[in-house]
Amino acid sequence: MKKIISLILCLVLVCAISGCGEERSVLKVYNAGEYIDTSLLSAFEKENGCKVVYETFDSNESMYTKVMSGEQYDIIIPSDYMIERLLKEGYLQEIDKAKLTNYDGINPALLSQPFDEENKYTVPYFWGTVGILYDKTVVAEEDLKDGWELLKNPKYKDDIYMYDSERDSFMIALKALGYSLNTADKAELDAAYAWLVEQRDMVNPIYVGDEVIDSMVSGNKSIAIVYSGDAAYIMSENEDLGYFEPDDGTNAWIDAMVITKDCQDTELAHKFIDFMIAPENAMKNSEAVGYTSSVMSVFDELKETVYSGNSAYNPRQNGENDEFFRYQDTETKKYCAELWTKVKAQ
Amino acid sequence: MRYFKKLVRPYIAWSAVVIIIPLIMMLLYAFTNSGNSLLNIQFTFENFKRFAEPVYLNVFLKSLKLGLLTVAICLVLGYTLAYIIAQFKESTQNVLILLVTVPMWINMLLRTYAWISILSDNGLLNALLSKLGLEPVSMMYTDFAVMIGQVCDFLPFMIIPIHTSLSKMDKSFIEASYDLGANPVQTFFKVVFKLSIPGVLNGVIMVFLLSISTFVIPKLLGGGQYVLMGNLIESQFVSVGDWNFGSAISIILAVIILFAIRWMKKVDAADN
Repeated sequence: MKKIISLILCLVLVCAISGCGEERSVLKVYNAGEYIDTSLLSAFEKENGCKVVYETFDSNESMYTKVMSGEQYDIIIPSDYMIERLLKEGYLQEIDKAKLTNYDGINPALLSQPFDEENKYTVPYFWGTVGILYDKTVVAEEDLKDGWELLKNPKYKDDIYMYDSERDSFMIALKALGYSLNTADKAELDAAYAWLVEQRDMVNPIYVGDEVIDSMVSGNKSIAIVYSGDAAYIMSENEDLGYFEPDDGTNAWIDAMVITKDCQDTELAHKFIDFMIAPENAMKNSEAVGYTSSVMSVFDELKETVYSGNSAYNPRQNGENDEFFRYQDTETKKYCAELWTKVKAQ
Repeated sequence: MRYFKKLVRPYIAWSAVVIIIPLIMMLLYAFTNSGNSLLNIQFTFENFKRFAEPVYLNVFLKSLKLGLLTVAICLVLGYTLAYIIAQFKESTQNVLILLVTVPMWINMLLRTYAWISILSDNGLLNALLSKLGLEPVSMMYTDFAVMIGQVCDFLPFMIIPIHTSLSKMDKSFIEASYDLGANPVQTFFKVVFKLSIPGVLNGVIMVFLLSISTFVIPKLLGGGQYVLMGNLIESQFVSVGDWNFGSAISIILAVIILFAIRWMKKVDAADN
């Protein structure tokens, strides 16, 4: 008797759990942290009667680790070089542009890039550069002429934030030395390593992650390496700051939306992408996070209105020495990672 | 009791799933070299050999030093506080111990961020200093900042076990010590402290365990250049993607902790 009762109870419980709420389709979105106006997510949910599960990552590498360990997402918004890697490993689905009503609004300069030459798999989301954010009241204008070497100026000892990411730091050193940021030549990488070690010993920089945003808003140090979009946001909060990209060249980047091969409800995924590039939504999004919109009309308007005079919202395009990051083979990656650990730990 | 034995079985199954299988995976990764796929396994000691490089040994020594220093500071502060608390009447003691645990109800990250806004160059402490007409001091990203963060986070783990053994202590031992002519200092070291050693050891083990494997606090308060064992493991898994080397470091750390605990248990046994 007892067994029968408990069986019935179990069945009731199972029914209750599975039956609760009507069937709603779910879209899993994986994006970098602080990289969206979250009110757009609820607006999308309302418009389509679906549920958006939104998760964030703190770097492309950690996103890759999570995805490779079996976590499934429908839409991911990684950077160019990571898209190249995901594409190489067959993880992405083609995007049917016939389903995107707002696709024509995308800034044409962002299309047909090396990571997706035929625009089959990606729809650009935000774009920008990496540059130096500096306090105009502390850093002398003529010191900016030194380009990346500014980061080695003993005048600014203990006053510099570097970005705690090996790829970005090696990019700076390689560009300062006049090499390509995609080099796999060990001699060049060793030279970059020596540059970083010398910088560490000369000015004692602090290697930080996203905390740099809050720290620069409150003006803790006067020089920091940041992405242009973060710089635009920080500069709108702290008027003493300026942003510049050294002439030696820097990393130009594009982050784009992709649909993974795990995605079942591709209809909904397309709707989401289309929703994000609709001019009114893209406007809200770009205004909230400070990154430069991939939608041409939004970019044109914001750089004249909300972000007028904010040089970081209008990052350098087609800079002579600027480059995209490209896919890095495992050996080079490991080599850089080891050198980077040495820079930090020794 | 015979019937209750069966109740253990779900627990055994559970611990197999959540403890033993992950451990085996870790061992497998540590002794192989085939990246993240486990399809073509090749056994190797390479990952362990790599750890012997001076960079990584330095990281290890730094972690060890920081761990021991945290333990020492926590021990002095924690013992004093536990001893003071144990002097009150029991109902007050319960309230005080509750107060000790209050910070632990708040997320650790949040507490660490709070320290950032207190210690940073334009933070609360420096604002206070400049109000008093003193020169600002750079406190963030130093040993001092990391130490303060660690001690604040781990102190309750030292206080609670010590307090437990102090409050359980039979007060008549202390009276006997006085009757036999010992002065307060002698009584403290020969009776009270000796009887509280089990609590002290538990506290030391807990704090040592936590402080040698932490990575969030040094990362936030010490900056990226503050690389400890925990940070090294984290970066191997998250940014470098070298799970094999990461597993090997984890295992080395686990073995060190295991030996430390064994050694302290031995001290405990020898004392009794």
